[in-house]
Amino acid sequence: MGKTKIKIDYSKCGPDGNVDPRDCAKCLNVCDPCVFLRHEDLKYKEKNIYDPQHWKITAIWPSVCTRCYKCVETCPENAISIKW
Amino acid sequence: MCKWCMKHGIGQKWYMNAKNYSNQLADEHNLQEYLTEQWMNFEAVYIRKIAGLSSKGLGYKLQMPVIGKVLRWAVERMIHGTIRHPNPIRADGHIGQVIPMEDAQIILSELAAEPIVETYCMCRKMQRGVNYQCCINFGVLSEVLEKLPRFIPKERAHRISREEAMERIEQHNKNGLVSTVWYQPYPYINAICNCESPECGALRLRNDFDLMIMSKAEYIIDLDQDKCQGCKECVAMCQWNAIRYIPSIKRVIIDYNKCFGCGVCRHACKHDALKLIPRKEFHGFNGHF
Repeated sequence: MGKTKIKIDYSKCGPDGNVDPRDCAKCLNVCDPCVFLRHEDLKYKEKNIYDPQHWKITAIWPSVCTRCYKCVETCPENAISIKW
Repeated sequence: MCKWCMKHGIGQKWYMNAKNYSNQLADEHNLQEYLTEQWMNFEAVYIRKIAGLSSKGLGYKLQMPVIGKVLRWAVERMIHGTIRHPNPIRADGHIGQVIPMEDAQIILSELAAEPIVETYCMCRKMQRGVNYQCCINFGVLSEVLEKLPRFIPKERAHRISREEAMERIEQHNKNGLVSTVWYQPYPYINAICNCESPECGALRLRNDFDLMIMSKAEYIIDLDQDKCQGCKECVAMCQWNAIRYIPSIKRVIIDYNKCFGCGVCRHACKHDALKLIPRKEFHGFNGHF
């Protein structure tokens, strides 16, 4: 198997898009091997250190992806694309 | 006895050494500050670049011919690091071990420092997007976590007594979760997690990438073949795929290579066929952690 590339369009999801990953998180829930990671966005400098407000989702372990495409189907914003 | 016990324990299991839990040790290493810094940025530890490399796509990076080997060495060195001034944005000296329920209860009843809190599991939070209250933290880490609202459950009490903590551990084990004890950082022990694969960050690194962040328990399961009735209840409990039912002999078999010695399968067995024995008494697997 070649490398799986999972791309997330941050103009649709995350602090710059219209969906907050803390409310949505559908891709995290639907992914059986847990490829995604929800973390705070590092680029925001002025942040609430105890309770961060800017979150985004990264496909951090693409090597365990099974290419079931459930995340692509589930994402309400169509922000995820998979290539290999 | 594993190499950590030789190095960090005092002639016994490393997590049975009461000194490793003391507040004095935490003060000595200035851990209040360290843990606050680390847990404020906990989710970012994975994604932050360390020496120019982030964990993103770690599985592929480890497969690369030369860089992969160097990276594996660097990660192992970081995890097993015993440096005096660890870096809060890395997982320096963050090693753990699977423990059976009985050992976890000894720790919680006798060794763990007050206060004991049960908070949301951060691995499930960041990898599954759910809030599940199952991480039992103690000592300095409790005080640190209480300042961070995203880890503190609102509907249930998070400060628990020793007796409650022991009950909770038993419940989690019966639910099929594996108890693990953690240095964070070396030499201070401050958490018993109740892990499950694949959400757990440590199990991901151990099972999928073969990095020694978490070692197998000091015990291994022993099946009494005469008592096993072949009800298959234990098969579903095992997170390591170590138990399999064989129809032709009407009993289960155990893959000892895969067994982590967590003892969770015992809770499903109604016929008393499964029990834990010390790993050092099981000659084929003595020293296989």
